Amino acid sequence: MRDQGFVNQSAIDRRTLLKGAAALGLAGAAGQRFMRSGAAATNLQFWDMVWGPPEYIDTGKKLVDQFNKANPDITAEYRSTPWNNWYQTFTTAIGAGTAPDVSTGAAYQSVQFFDQGAVAPVDDLIAKMKASGELDDFLPGTYERLQYQNHYVALPWAIDIRIPYYRKDLFDAAGVKPPTNWDEFAAAAKALTKGNQYGVVSCGDTLGTHHMYFFILDNGGGLFTEDGKPDLMNDRNVEALTFFSDLVKAGSVHPASAGYTSDDAVKAFTQGAAAMLITNPGFETRAPEIADKIAILDPITGPHGDKGTIAWVNNIMLYEQSKDKAAASTFLEWWLSNLTPLWTEGHLTQLPVRKSIASNEYFTQNPNMKQILDQWVPVAKTTATHYPGIFPALNEVEGEGVMQTLVQDLLQGKDVKESMTKADERMKEIVK
Amino acid sequence: MSTQATALERYRGQPAAKRPGHDPLPYSLLLPSLLLIGLINVYPFIVGFLYSLKDGSLLKQGDFVGLANYFQLPAMSDFRHALLFSAIFAICNVAGSYAIGLGLALLLNQEMPGRGFYRVALLLPWIIPSIVSIVSWRWMIADQNGLINQALDLVGVGPIFFLGSERWAIFSVIMIKIWRSFPFMMISCLAALQSIDRDLYEAAHIDGAGRWQTFRDITLPQIAGISVVLWILMTIWSVNDFETPWLLTQGGPSNSTENLIILAYKYTFTRNDVGTGSAIAFVSLIILMVLAWMLLRRQARSEV
Repeated sequence: MRDQGFVNQSAIDRRTLLKGAAALGLAGAAGQRFMRSGAAATNLQFWDMVWGPPEYIDTGKKLVDQFNKANPDITAEYRSTPWNNWYQTFTTAIGAGTAPDVSTGAAYQSVQFFDQGAVAPVDDLIAKMKASGELDDFLPGTYERLQYQNHYVALPWAIDIRIPYYRKDLFDAAGVKPPTNWDEFAAAAKALTKGNQYGVVSCGDTLGTHHMYFFILDNGGGLFTEDGKPDLMNDRNVEALTFFSDLVKAGSVHPASAGYTSDDAVKAFTQGAAAMLITNPGFETRAPEIADKIAILDPITGPHGDKGTIAWVNNIMLYEQSKDKAAASTFLEWWLSNLTPLWTEGHLTQLPVRKSIASNEYFTQNPNMKQILDQWVPVAKTTATHYPGIFPALNEVEGEGVMQTLVQDLLQGKDVKESMTKADERMKEIVK
Repeated sequence: MSTQATALERYRGQPAAKRPGHDPLPYSLLLPSLLLIGLINVYPFIVGFLYSLKDGSLLKQGDFVGLANYFQLPAMSDFRHALLFSAIFAICNVAGSYAIGLGLALLLNQEMPGRGFYRVALLLPWIIPSIVSIVSWRWMIADQNGLINQALDLVGVGPIFFLGSERWAIFSVIMIKIWRSFPFMMISCLAALQSIDRDLYEAAHIDGAGRWQTFRDITLPQIAGISVVLWILMTIWSVNDFETPWLLTQGGPSNSTENLIILAYKYTFTRNDVGTGSAIAFVSLIILMVLAWMLLRRQARSEV
């Protein structure tokens, strides 16, 4: 005979237990919410670099407001961070213990700060997004690149790329067709050089180094071996920079280029003092007065049949100093899922890493954006090429000035191999 | 004797606050200033020096390496170049700005119409904020569309790409620094010229001295004291100058206009080598301290 009393008692006990557990759960959740709303850790600092025009910053602020409404237990604050002295800005903050919880940043910012113990890995978030299938929405070669020492050090949110614009009006006036290979490029640059007009304009700052990378990668070259050793002096690189130098020596590159900043180069191109300029997408929005006079070249075939350009996968990362990494992670995940207005309203000139955003009519209806996404993104490579990942020294190679000195040497018509050898020695000191 | 002993005992028996020379009030009044100076001068100085004895970056301090960061400097080609450029930059600026400043001061020391206007107008390069003047100069010399090349074109010269080659960039940086510096030289020399006793000139005139002789034997010796002070001050400001080369060329092209201060900045913040950057900064500091010591010594002599 069954012990009804036990059964009954057990049943009551189970119900009571379930109710109690539910009550405890609710109380716990409420308590947690109370804790969050009352604790300082719920305030998140989000530092977003100035990636676009003023409306980009306004859109970023609006998105953060939306996040705060959707997540009442977390209050994120948007801080637009200028690129000028960005490294000092972040190092000072980290050193003072006032680092942001989340920030966007350049391609190698996360790995550099991760290496110095300032950035937290996002392995858990990647695993979660992988399990939910969300990672499939990212373009190939984007999040995979952000690995270092078996950790994902950031998530990708945009692609920065350089593409060659040309002045249709100057090409038409000279009767020159847009070049499709290096020989045609050199011939077009020469034909478009007359008087105070030059075929190509470059500059001595960071954008000038991108022009070198453009030809190196377009020739199948790369700055590193597959195992991450510096490899500046390989044959493809020497060939590419000799081609670049020959353009200078032929007088086809604006002679002021070595002393130009990127703004000067843009101004020269806008004023019609140069017919071709390799720069970032969205030039037509930055110089609307010549929007109908410019177009983008198709990928240019190098002498060995390669195509390429330089691109970077921009980061969004979490910081170790964050007092509530779970909340920061929630914000990061939300941000990555709600980025579209940054382009549609903020007129961001970077390219999206998410296929769902790239398929938005903002891109499909814009011929230039479509051309870049369809033709240039698939052939784009990073400065880490041929190394498959990223490493901290990349930031120094790009930022410490060795490449700027090299492009300034070439733009002054100095000997290619001698200049490259000098840069190679410095690179080897950086990447020990 | 006993009276003295009693006085001493009485003195010792007094609270410290009442003893002459031991009144804490002056010290307590000085304390905020001392703390502030300690905070903004001494602390960064000590921390900077400690950085120069270590390797690593600003975020990840490395090991103590002693004076290794200092010993490596002479072997570094970029350091040697920056040291040379700093010296050339300082010497050319001191000589150029002094020559122009003194010349203009001699002119403005004469009775001439509109003298007050010229005195103010010629001070403008010194008064205009450096960011405004240097960026404006950059626009004027950057390429063939700049004002300078437009002017050169009128006389059939150019275009000259002043920032596009090393020699022209060095020339441009020095010239613009001279342009920014001569007003200070001018106004200081003018003050010195006006303090010269006019009787000396009258006596020289009566003795039949010519203009050059008067300048050489009266003017120059009379302003020699202030001139040395001006040279030393301008040398310090030239060695210490960051904004002129940075805003014009960022040290380029090909590092040709990189001085010690820019090099220290680049090592610290773009190369993440805080030890080497701090060592370069301290070498600059030593150079500046030697110059400052010379200045103070000169001033002490002139006071005697």
